[in-house]
Amino acid sequence: MKITETDVEYVAKLANLEVAADEKKELADQLSRIVEYVEQLNKVDVSAVEPTTQILAGMKHAVRDDSVAQRTGSSEAGKTVKYFKVPKVITER
Amino acid sequence: MNLKEFSAEKLVASYQRKDLSVTEVVSGVFQEIEVTDKRVHAFLTLCKDTALEDARRVDAKIAAGEEIGPLAGVPVAIKDNMALRDVPTTCASRVLEGYVPPYTATAVERLRAAGALIIGKTNMDEFAMGSSTENSGYFVTRNPHNLECVPGGSSGGSAAAVAAGMSVIALGSDTGGSIRTPASFCGVVGMKPTYGRVSRYGLVAYASSLDQIGPFTKTVRDCALVSSIICGFDPYDSTSADVAVEPFLQEIEKPLKGVRIGVPKEYFVPGLDSQVKERFEQCVRVYEGLGCTMEEISLPHTEYAIAAYYLIATAEASSNLARYDGVRYGVRKGGDAGLADMYRKTRMAGFGKEVKRRILLGTYALSAGYYDAYYLKAMKVRTLIRQDFEKAFERVDLILTPTCPTVAFRIGEKVDDPLSMYLSDIFTITCNLAGLPGISIPAGKNSAGMPIGIQLLGNHFQEGRVLQAAHHFEKAFLLQ
Repeated sequence: MKITETDVEYVAKLANLEVAADEKKELADQLSRIVEYVEQLNKVDVSAVEPTTQILAGMKHAVRDDSVAQRTGSSEAGKTVKYFKVPKVITER
Repeated sequence: MNLKEFSAEKLVASYQRKDLSVTEVVSGVFQEIEVTDKRVHAFLTLCKDTALEDARRVDAKIAAGEEIGPLAGVPVAIKDNMALRDVPTTCASRVLEGYVPPYTATAVERLRAAGALIIGKTNMDEFAMGSSTENSGYFVTRNPHNLECVPGGSSGGSAAAVAAGMSVIALGSDTGGSIRTPASFCGVVGMKPTYGRVSRYGLVAYASSLDQIGPFTKTVRDCALVSSIICGFDPYDSTSADVAVEPFLQEIEKPLKGVRIGVPKEYFVPGLDSQVKERFEQCVRVYEGLGCTMEEISLPHTEYAIAAYYLIATAEASSNLARYDGVRYGVRKGGDAGLADMYRKTRMAGFGKEVKRRILLGTYALSAGYYDAYYLKAMKVRTLIRQDFEKAFERVDLILTPTCPTVAFRIGEKVDDPLSMYLSDIFTITCNLAGLPGISIPAGKNSAGMPIGIQLLGNHFQEGRVLQAAHHFEKAFLLQ
């Protein structure tokens, strides 16, 4: 499928990216070529195939105990002052 | 002193015999870097003061007759997508400029606990997205064998540092070939262990179902040594595999006779360079000479691997990289028009072209109306690729392939054509999709003096066997 400059704008918005006006055409062309290439997957019959969501079969789900533990560095995460300062959040819809 | 001639094992033995002091070796390393890295550009950050301090500490231990670790005093370079406390971690991206992590990645911590000295952080394709180290937000790394050529990527800085004698070992990460390709292009050993084998705590995520940390070394024995240290369960990484690690250094000395090795017929693609092909066929004969049974096998879905990979990897990347928004890490731009403005301006200024391209492709593949057609389809094709290997490993113990279809290409050759760059990953990508361990080992050079690599793939958690076959090859090939 061909990716248009409008598609690029739309996807960029979804991804919180700004794309410069002079980059749009190049990106649309490059993405079109890549999408055309990946569309060869349509030749494969996957109607009876399950998607791979876990690579290693039989691995147990690793969740740690829900308990307080001292972790290196965690107390210092805030030493960069900028960390938790953000601009006004409620500014646009 | 020429560090090129020293493996980690040889270096530690020299320290123990007191032939060399750690301090003189580490000083020598930084002198070498000062000269050679002006041409190669492998390092983003150097840790000279701490490395020299650590070196003196190891020397004092040796002088006092204390026991030292298996990597005591061995210089190691770390790809700049692994956290090292109090040292900048940039992922070669402008968006992380100025970010200093307050903790150290588990794999790096384990090397340090074994006595290794971190000498610096190495250049890479931004966020590990690339096959040439041309996509760095800072500068291009060059191949030490020919400065006009790429070192491969994305762990190009790590491979080049070892190949140029600026480090003895290095860590890289491999999502679609990012350790094995630069190992092949630079003529060093590079291994991607099984998915989950090495903790990724402290590794900046690119594509979480594919990423894995692994070593670059000059010899397979060093690769076995480093792997035995960095592999193993880590409670800090929820995807870490709780599977026992074999004593690799003992495993690799076992005789190879009777091991069955498969050669996939689908890997003889039209783009396979004739000299690489010829050398590969010579390597097959080396294995026959070692008493292995060579067998043609089929991995029928290989031709779809690149398409599946670039959908899955970019989809995961678009999600993983959403966190670089100017709030927590590094660079922040804009914000006068509110939070959303800051997000967009920061990301526009901070990300390079290839990263933006992959975020856009991944976002597209996951977006409403396209999810089933692209992302879900790719996940299903991934199952078929995995099953190809499952079937193959019923018949053979290992799979042998060229690591890359060509030797290192020239800088700039593929940079404007992302698809042709993606296609160069054809032989390395399937291993990540299936979660297998894979190693690239040097197999001499072509007529222009550029290194050629061959790749061995094993079944899940069979690093021992992969290393064993690599080690025997290395010995036999040297004798030829």
